[in-house]
Amino acid sequence: MNLTYFLFFICIIICTLIITHWAAKYTKTTYQYYTAAGSLTGIQNGMAIAGDFISAASFLGIVGAIAINGYDGFLYSIGFLVSYLILLFFIAEPVHHLGKYSLGDVICARFPNRKVRMIMALGAFIISILYMIPQLVASGLLIRLLLDIDYSTSVIIIGSLMTIYVVFGGMYATSWVQIVKTVLLMSGTFLLSLIVFSRFNWEITELFEQVKQGSVLGKQFFLPGQIFGNPLEAVSLQLALILGTAGLPHILIRFYTVRNVVEVRRSVITASWIIGVFYVITLVLGLGAVALIGGENLIAVDATGNLAAPLLAKELGGDFLLAFISAIAFTTIVAVIAGLVISATTAFSHDIYHHIIKKGRATEKEQLRAAQWTALGVGITATLFALGLKNINVTFLVSLTFIVAASSNLPVLLFTIYWKRFNQTGAVIGMMSGLIVSLILLLFGPHIMNPDGGWIAREPLFPLYNPGIIAIPIGFLGAIFGTMLSRQPLESDKAFKQFSIRAQTGIDTRRDGS
Amino acid sequence: MESLFRQFVQEKKRFLLPAIVFLFVFYFSLPLTLAFFPQQMSATLPFINLSWGWLYAFAQFIMTWLLCWMYWHKAKHFDQLVERMQEENR
Repeated sequence: MNLTYFLFFICIIICTLIITHWAAKYTKTTYQYYTAAGSLTGIQNGMAIAGDFISAASFLGIVGAIAINGYDGFLYSIGFLVSYLILLFFIAEPVHHLGKYSLGDVICARFPNRKVRMIMALGAFIISILYMIPQLVASGLLIRLLLDIDYSTSVIIIGSLMTIYVVFGGMYATSWVQIVKTVLLMSGTFLLSLIVFSRFNWEITELFEQVKQGSVLGKQFFLPGQIFGNPLEAVSLQLALILGTAGLPHILIRFYTVRNVVEVRRSVITASWIIGVFYVITLVLGLGAVALIGGENLIAVDATGNLAAPLLAKELGGDFLLAFISAIAFTTIVAVIAGLVISATTAFSHDIYHHIIKKGRATEKEQLRAAQWTALGVGITATLFALGLKNINVTFLVSLTFIVAASSNLPVLLFTIYWKRFNQTGAVIGMMSGLIVSLILLLFGPHIMNPDGGWIAREPLFPLYNPGIIAIPIGFLGAIFGTMLSRQPLESDKAFKQFSIRAQTGIDTRRDGS
Repeated sequence: MESLFRQFVQEKKRFLLPAIVFLFVFYFSLPLTLAFFPQQMSATLPFINLSWGWLYAFAQFIMTWLLCWMYWHKAKHFDQLVERMQEENR
């Protein structure tokens, strides 16, 4: 291992541990642990949301996808960005008004029922764990490549770091690690894109020319149709991307960390600016990678293109810049995973332990203790899974996360907030049908059933790589039919009106007795 | 309180419904036009060296920021209504 690399990594680890140490001093109550006591400003929270959202898959994956597939690679980023509008318009403010710590709180504000809470907690838990595993596996592979440490050691290092942040620092540490990550990531990639432009004497046309020469696609590089030949597949993916974000528990719980709705809005808008600018930068980096390194060389090193960004850094600034970009990729990974750990922890310790097992009677101290033990358990479990899945390609789990979120969490959230007739049977059935259908379609789809190197070497029973277009409507229909077919008495007009006022404005109109 | 809340919901709907319809049409037209009119989308624009496909892709960014800004602007008015409701609720 080379000294520059080592110093960068040690520096990042020490900085984040200092943040955690500072955060631990302020983490004495559950309110502080789960929500950082609502102390973040909108801008800070927006940066943390961006830090939570931009995963290694976005940073390394999209640069690679653009470098290899040209135009179609860029289409991924658009779905990720536009999804923030759905979040802003319909979900973010009601979630802030209705919930305290978790998504279960939001649904239980209308249906105070243990079964509903259980199912929401399980959904949030499953989504977070499913998303965490591919991130950890990817991080292990990345660190192995960059630092030349073996896979298991790197997974254990990252696994223990994320666990330490969340166990001791709770939401304070998670948020600030994410904010630091956003600053590093944005400034580092921006710098890199400037160096790319300078290589072409700041002439965009010259860059384009070089790209056409460098890419194996030649002139086709700038034209659509490299990945998405099948329109159904394209629409299905875009549907999952645009609706997924508004159902991701680790993003939604971030709206508890600010004081009021103005700050909620400010956080979403800040996040959308950071993420949008970031995707423009990844485009430049993707183009730069093809132009300077050449498509063939990129594919030769790694067929998925995941190493395009590190290779570009090495080409532009030698070992030093490569070490810097690797350190940024490393921070990116730990920040995202920490966000997922705290989301899984909240679902388990607040919803399942406090509300279901202890029936809401656990003391403050017990709750905090439970949260910290849960975080430890979640960290260890995810690390063990990642260690076991070393040689298996798990990147499809990333797209699965968006599909599950869009088909199970989103319908239930939307209907709970806006649909008067909705009832708890509808909520339970909607959650279950979305979750089960997306898992089944994925299991029988070409990601897993594939004669060409799939887990099950057979022709897939379901033809689409992106089952969103089937799974998402089924989630919505499940919630609707569950509501229509159950014989629960309709909520009174007054009760729904009270709920609705609270969801939309945060005003509690209940008088006395409650 | 009741009438204010009704006004609040109405005004919010008047902004959000057209916005969401526009958003979905504008957003899904991108993959659809790419799939069904690949020739036209690959044609280069007059004057600048860029194809319609790229222009439309960048327009999605502009659309997101524009709608964010419009909502931010509208929401100030919604907040005033909420404030009045809070006063009545006291």
